[in-house]
Amino acid sequence: MSAVIRFESYTWRYSRTKQPALDAIDLEIEEGAIVGIIGPNGSGKTTLAYSINGLIPRQEMGVRKGKVYVMGREVMAYTPAELCQRVGLVFSDPEAQFTAMTVEDEVVFGMENLGLPIEEIERRLAWVVPLTEIGPLMDKPPYEVSGGQKQRVALASVLAMRPPILVLDEPTTMLDPLGRRRVFQVLERLKREYQSTIIVIEHSLEHLIPLADHMVLLYYGKVLLADETEPFFERLAFLMEHDVFPPGVVEFFYHLKQAGEYPADAPLPLTVEDGTARLRELLGGKG
Amino acid sequence: MQKMHKTILGYVPEASPLYEVHPFVRLYFLMVVSIFPMIIGAPEWNLALILVVLVLMKYGRVSLSTLKLYVPISISMGMLILLSYTLLGGIHPEFHVVFRILGFPIYYERIEAAVEVYTRILPMIFVMVLFLSTSRERDVLVAMRWARVPFTMTYMTAMALRAVGMVIEDFSIVRQAEKARGFDPHGKSLGYKLRQFVMYIIPLMALSLRRSEEFTKAIVARGYSFTGLKNVKRPDYVLSKYPFRTRDAVLILIITGFLLGILYLRYGLGMLTLEGSVTQRWLRQWLLGGAA
Repeated sequence: MSAVIRFESYTWRYSRTKQPALDAIDLEIEEGAIVGIIGPNGSGKTTLAYSINGLIPRQEMGVRKGKVYVMGREVMAYTPAELCQRVGLVFSDPEAQFTAMTVEDEVVFGMENLGLPIEEIERRLAWVVPLTEIGPLMDKPPYEVSGGQKQRVALASVLAMRPPILVLDEPTTMLDPLGRRRVFQVLERLKREYQSTIIVIEHSLEHLIPLADHMVLLYYGKVLLADETEPFFERLAFLMEHDVFPPGVVEFFYHLKQAGEYPADAPLPLTVEDGTARLRELLGGKG
Repeated sequence: MQKMHKTILGYVPEASPLYEVHPFVRLYFLMVVSIFPMIIGAPEWNLALILVVLVLMKYGRVSLSTLKLYVPISISMGMLILLSYTLLGGIHPEFHVVFRILGFPIYYERIEAAVEVYTRILPMIFVMVLFLSTSRERDVLVAMRWARVPFTMTYMTAMALRAVGMVIEDFSIVRQAEKARGFDPHGKSLGYKLRQFVMYIIPLMALSLRRSEEFTKAIVARGYSFTGLKNVKRPDYVLSKYPFRTRDAVLILIITGFLLGILYLRYGLGMLTLEGSVTQRWLRQWLLGGAA
């Protein structure tokens, strides 16, 4: 598969800081992949997201070095209108991005900006509304619905623009477990049915891991580790040294492995289902 | 159970005949009918306008209980107008003294003027209540867009309407946060409260600045530009959901017809003025015993 996003020795330093938020990073993201970006706060995750959709450097003051290519063209070679048709961005605080009086107006806002004909807007609404399950909310003010619903409205308003690349910046930070699950269910459907390229910046690893094809560890401006999800979590000691706290099931098997009670060459289970199956095998083997 | 629509001031049934009217007609009604009391001087005609608005509210299935909220305001406003025109109205030897309060003369002419002003303001409030009870924020924007107001302006109006709610919400959060840390201005002097108000203003300002930055990023990320996108004609999906029917055009004509009729009666025939009105005759009879 070809790289749909490519960072080449990319550095960004905000004018208000001395240290670069991203420091000479090289990274490639393949078309159709779901990539999880993790790292502690202040690692440059949001900067990375803004650099892909051009908010950096267009809306921020700072010093930029290196290149960011989106679908083969440097980000700065695109006009903002061209870029927003290729990269959709969902923010962590959905409420901050609502400007319309009803959910319906909010969802069509981006499509109107693209100048789509009314018939096409209706077609896309018919696609995105059931996908994100916001049908009963269409007539309500977006700021009066629940947290999880707000984030699905924000997601719908970006998806309706049909960008081939979707970037979600901590989309579930402000949500309860149920809201979090519903958002990831939508992402699962996107992966399964539309093969979209999705970049998810997220702290909630238990939902992200089953979804992600690749993982990237950003640590204070540097890409420390980038790999497919399974081999990525095989380096658990390294990840934990760099403030990544894996789901309990991964940590549990890691400790078993360290104690020699789990085969050293066996991969760590990444989900509860996988872990349960492995544990049954282990117990069955001993029994 | 009938489906209700949330409006700016409350709820209105989806089946309300007034809600079915195009939002522009409702806005036009507000803008034009609010002018009527400015033209009409005769209090009885302005009171008749209130009656018409009440009938429209009933017909539009608007809950008349909404008006209860405005009773204290209306009474306070009436008292203030009466006081400012009579006790605080100055000394006018040329006017007729009806009676005296603590030695201050209360003139007939000033009472008459107070009644006229009050009965001009009241219908405007009723018209506004009718509009706010049958319209949502979205309707205001649809009406503006239908009137071909540039999108940038309607969008700024939308953001302003949205910002009002956000500032109120933020204020409440900041106040709760201050209270949680032991700050309670309850029972303190007004001066103290004003001095401490800065505690609210600073975080509110900071929140507003942060929100405006987030707003900007969010709308830019979805392709919005105040200068408009090159070679892109912006469609209006929302407007397409509100067809303007013949009935709406007829209503516009009727409202305009009333405006023209009232203008003609007032300035063409000299009617609808306070002079010679039934209210004036009645007031004179009651307060002056027909002496003036």
